Amino acid sequence: MQRKIMEIVAGFLVILATVGVIGGSLLYEDRLNREVKTIELLAEAPERGNWNPPVINLTKGEPVRIKIRNIDTVSHGFTIPELGIGLAGAAEIKPGQVATIDFVPQRTGTFKYMCTAWCSAQHMQMTGKIIISEN
Amino acid sequence: MTEKILGLIPVDWRFELTSLPYIRKIIKSRWMPFLPIVLNLSVFTVILMAGYVGGVSTGNYNFGIMFVWIVWWLLLMMVMVPFFSRIWCMVCPLPAFGEWLQRLGFTGVRNKLFGLNRKWPKSLKNMWLVNFLFLGTTYTTGFLTTRPIATFILLMSIIIGSIALMIVFEKRNFCKYIGCPVGGFLGLYSNMAVTEIRARDPQICKDHKHKDCVIGNEKGHSCPWMILPFDIGRNTYCGMCLECFKTCPYDNMAINLRPPATDLLVDKNRGLDEAWKAFIMLGIAIFFFLIMQGNNGLLKDWANAKTTEGYLTFVGLHSIFNLLLIPGVFLVFVYASRALGSKEIQLKKLFTNFSYTLVPLGLIAWIAFSFGLLFPNSSYVLHVLSDPFAWGWDLFGTAKFPWTPFLTGVMPYFQIGTLLFGLVLSLDIGFKISKQTFQNRDQAVRGFIPIAAFLTVTTIFLIWLFTG
Amino acid sequence: MRTINKFFMGALIFALLAGPLFVLAQSEEPKEKVITIEAKKFSYAPETVEVNKGDRVTIRFISTDVHHGLYIDGYELETNARPGQDGSITFTADETGKFVMRCSVTCGPFHPYMIGYLKVKPDYRLFGSIWLALGIFIGSILLVSRRQKP
Repeated sequence: MQRKIMEIVAGFLVILATVGVIGGSLLYEDRLNREVKTIELLAEAPERGNWNPPVINLTKGEPVRIKIRNIDTVSHGFTIPELGIGLAGAAEIKPGQVATIDFVPQRTGTFKYMCTAWCSAQHMQMTGKIIISEN
Repeated sequence: MTEKILGLIPVDWRFELTSLPYIRKIIKSRWMPFLPIVLNLSVFTVILMAGYVGGVSTGNYNFGIMFVWIVWWLLLMMVMVPFFSRIWCMVCPLPAFGEWLQRLGFTGVRNKLFGLNRKWPKSLKNMWLVNFLFLGTTYTTGFLTTRPIATFILLMSIIIGSIALMIVFEKRNFCKYIGCPVGGFLGLYSNMAVTEIRARDPQICKDHKHKDCVIGNEKGHSCPWMILPFDIGRNTYCGMCLECFKTCPYDNMAINLRPPATDLLVDKNRGLDEAWKAFIMLGIAIFFFLIMQGNNGLLKDWANAKTTEGYLTFVGLHSIFNLLLIPGVFLVFVYASRALGSKEIQLKKLFTNFSYTLVPLGLIAWIAFSFGLLFPNSSYVLHVLSDPFAWGWDLFGTAKFPWTPFLTGVMPYFQIGTLLFGLVLSLDIGFKISKQTFQNRDQAVRGFIPIAAFLTVTTIFLIWLFTG
Repeated sequence: MRTINKFFMGALIFALLAGPLFVLAQSEEPKEKVITIEAKKFSYAPETVEVNKGDRVTIRFISTDVHHGLYIDGYELETNARPGQDGSITFTADETGKFVMRCSVTCGPFHPYMIGYLKVKPDYRLFGSIWLALGIFIGSILLVSRRQKP
């Protein structure tokens, strides 16, 4: 009987170490994203895929968090010049790092967003669109 | 008169670490080493997840890359192997699934293992396969150590391969002879370790006919590493799984502290497979240094496969250097040793025996190489601990910790000191092996001189390469 | 040969070895040096920079493709440059030896392996360690060739 209990505990520990770690990480990440509407934006140099997604749809008046993940191997930047939105401080996202921008869209329309750090020969093509609409 | 390592510690000096009752109790529990394995498994889950999620993003900010190629590799070379022999094998999570499947359980004992339980062919019961497997893995070092997905693919392949092969072949054949890329160097370099597992009182084993350690009983499995715990000559194939501590009815197994490198003096199962492992490890230390810490951009472009021709050139040079050039140069010195010492000794025997002098040199070369990674790049580990998947987390507040090299000014002195110590130890072992192999002391002294010259020239070359 | 004679001979050879090494270690007059280092993925041009002890060195650091950096081991100096920028630094090479120069700005997969060498001559440390290694060699031969007591 004691053997059986040992086995059940052991099996539970293995599941905790594998499925538990994976599930826990995914749950934690989901919880962080639920605090406010979060849009994940992946930064890659143009020759490696460019911004993903290229088009971001937002709603006027709804607070949004843009989480910019630099999954590339060079630094990138971010700005929406027409809305005056950009990165604070160092103004550059290192590879492997994540920058967060919280704002509330006040205007409707189509705006350009772009990279602000010289990251490749095609840096000037590293742009995308933000479309803000009424409810 | 007893021989002494470095003229200081008698070769047969031992201190039994398991003489403390509390330690022995822990070792005999069936939760050991299961619990450390599960803990390790949780870290590996993070490594695999980070590798998968990381894709081709930058390696230095990836948990998988950092924890495998910096944390684990450095710990292995600088701490685990020299001090604790094959202790990694004790806690390795990669074959754990295969072994749990064989045993149809986690902590229980099952004497008829699940699976085909095929025996591994005798002709392949050596290091040749893992030599080539390791060499093959090093061809991919440019990607393996920089692209997270490559590390994921390697580790997953070993896990899946081990499950498949452990259902076919019995016990730990996978770990010993088939699928672990680092099994070869763990086996050979563990001969250097200051720790060993041996039977405490050989007389008890002599009188004990029913060898529970080999056959197994209700307390534990028959030795999964398929060695004879009552007669372990060298550390090479003991994976420290601790089953024999559990099965022995006389409580006669022990973990001992001992002087370094004593196994290199044990003339048992020496072979050319291990000789080539020694050459390969030395050669790879040199090639990896050139790629990772050298200043030649062309070689790096080759290793990074910027062009196909360049990559193939690298693979070719790497192979020739390790498999032919280093053994070839060594052969010349062995030939000189035979000419000076005694022509009656077989060249093959002399060559094989003296190749073991490259084991201290090789391990120390790797430790010196590891200093070159530790001081400049270990600070990345703080970042990946807080943000393992590059999702913007900051678990411990160190996500923004910048790249911080430290003590780079004294780093070369660590390397030189280690290499000179390695030379002294290699010379000591070299002369003792010379005395074992030649027929009298005069021959041993004369035959030693060319080998000593080779060891010295190699050490000077390494000092120049690393720090000059 | 009697053991004591052997030891004297060995010690003499060892001491004499210091001679050629000493000659190699002759230093030169310190000068002003300006060196341009061009960084690209994943190496520097030139790959090795050689100066003499005491030189006042200015490194004009430029990048030809992306943002690169230059960190000098031992001296613990750092600079970086985007294409079009000039990351010049000036320092006095008062420490001798080989110092690794590493890229300090993540610039691609092989970034941690992007390395150049700064050599400040004479390399006393190298000559000293070689001398020690040779001493260990001579010492080991002498040690093992002691005549055993009958």
